[in-house]
Amino acid sequence: MNSIDWIILFTTLALIVGYGTWQSRGSKNIDGYLLGNKSLPWWNVCLSIMATQASAITFLSTPGQAYEDGMRFLQFYFGLPLAMVILSITAVPLYHRLKVYTAYEYLETRFDLKTRSLAAFFFLMLRGLSVGITIYAPALILSTMLGWNINLTTVFIGSLVMIYTVSGGTKAVSMTQKYQLTIIMAGMIIAGLTAFYKLPNDITFTEAFQLAGEMGKMNLINLSFDLSDRYNIWSGLIGGLFLFLSYFGADQSQVGRYLGGKSVTESRLGLLFNGLLKVPMQFIILYIGILVFVFYQFHQAPVFHNQSLINQAKQTEYADRITLLESDYDKVFLERKQEAENLIGAIRKEDAKQIEASRKSIEEIQASEKSIRSQVKEQIAAAIPGANTLDKDYVFITFVMTYLPHGLIGLLLAVVFMAAMSSTASELNALASTTTVDIYKRSIKPIADDYHYVTASKWFTVGWAVFGMLFASIANQAENLIQFVNIIGSIFYGTILGIFLSAFYLKYIKSNAIFIAAIVAEAVIVYCYFFTKIAFLLYNIIGCLIVVVLGFVLQYLENQRIKKASR
Amino acid sequence: WGSWYWLVMAVLAIQIMLYLFISTSFQ
Repeated sequence: MNSIDWIILFTTLALIVGYGTWQSRGSKNIDGYLLGNKSLPWWNVCLSIMATQASAITFLSTPGQAYEDGMRFLQFYFGLPLAMVILSITAVPLYHRLKVYTAYEYLETRFDLKTRSLAAFFFLMLRGLSVGITIYAPALILSTMLGWNINLTTVFIGSLVMIYTVSGGTKAVSMTQKYQLTIIMAGMIIAGLTAFYKLPNDITFTEAFQLAGEMGKMNLINLSFDLSDRYNIWSGLIGGLFLFLSYFGADQSQVGRYLGGKSVTESRLGLLFNGLLKVPMQFIILYIGILVFVFYQFHQAPVFHNQSLINQAKQTEYADRITLLESDYDKVFLERKQEAENLIGAIRKEDAKQIEASRKSIEEIQASEKSIRSQVKEQIAAAIPGANTLDKDYVFITFVMTYLPHGLIGLLLAVVFMAAMSSTASELNALASTTTVDIYKRSIKPIADDYHYVTASKWFTVGWAVFGMLFASIANQAENLIQFVNIIGSIFYGTILGIFLSAFYLKYIKSNAIFIAAIVAEAVIVYCYFFTKIAFLLYNIIGCLIVVVLGFVLQYLENQRIKKASR
Repeated sequence: WGSWYWLVMAVLAIQIMLYLFISTSFQ
């Protein structure tokens, strides 16, 4: 980082925060503050939805995931376009016609107050905890890379978001997201192109594909059926469909984005374009990871990508052993570079025999590299007890900080901040909307003027932001807490989706049956989490099915009871 | 808006076929 990078980083951050605050000034009534006066065109709805879903970890982790594991993560998103189509047909016209502020408000018109409050409570639980991690995860990586204090980094990101979300509400969130996502995608593509242009021997895009393919990284589609494994086409289409139906249809962080659309058509088109663009966008981000992987076939990769941690380990008695392993790694790299060049030569000559020979030899070299890397991780774990030796989140950012020219480093760091801010802003805004509309205005203070509710929403936004930052500083002490929050969506989403699916499609089920079914389903899911080894992705399906089936049975029994009583 | 729904589904289907082609021909 030099002065140009710092200037670019802070100018970008200041412009975005200033723009959001200025553009959304004067949101005095509750319609303006919580729905942005329903003024968004479809393209802004689409950008808002995409910016909300893509958190900083998406842009840091996904290239690292492709680097280590290939492109197969893409399959996880195949259910998303299907969910967009279903929600455009069902949820969007319903929410618009009922003029709701939150998704849960609809549940009271369909069922009753207790079901609405239960769903709102589930949402506040899952989103309130995860907003802390949305801030914490990038803050951890940024603080490591920049040498900042982790808690100060958390407060810095949280405060930036708070400035414009508190002052401008939903409108500020959506207005800033269109620029944030533009900066994010531009920065990512520039980083990918940099990796590509630094490849030797005029390697073409197709050759980069082939090279990655020969090394097993282009594992885009797996046709085997196993719902407990996230990475096959059926998990993506079925498990992903359930997950994205609940995320986009029943999570206020997303529902709040398309409720701000000008009309049913604008909201629908926003969702549908998200369905068109999301998979290609993830493909691009994963492919950037592949380009970094190909780049490191010809340039020396660090043996461990979290440089700060390995440097700490070198301050201990384990330093000699780590240095020895590093020099082994350097030797192996030279062999691999030679083989990668042989492989490119063979691909150009279309010499199948030589391709096969090079591929085999690279496989052997990769195995010894992997063994050296795991030995280094063991040494680091021994040197610093409790250290996190997973370094895939650091692959991309370390590449950026090492190989990108000054100026672009500042831009890419701004990208990480933007991604963290755009997701956090939507989440805080949704938490405040739900707290105000579904809890405060409905059950605590039902009669007051608009000014009162706008002020209350602002304070709830501040409250949730402070809660998120406090939770992040606790999470810093507890690794297993972070893992719990990362799957907390799976714990609540199935039940919430079951409630909403019953509300949309199963007119037979009434309020008491759905309420009891939802509580039983949630208890079963919590039991599964603590006492079984069922894959988390299946929780969504199990929870949803229990709510629907049990709701049916309970309603049938209730109807029988009423019939008997009336005889 | 039926055409938009079909477009989204068609684009997904085309992408899956393209990715299937890539993963079989580059592996």
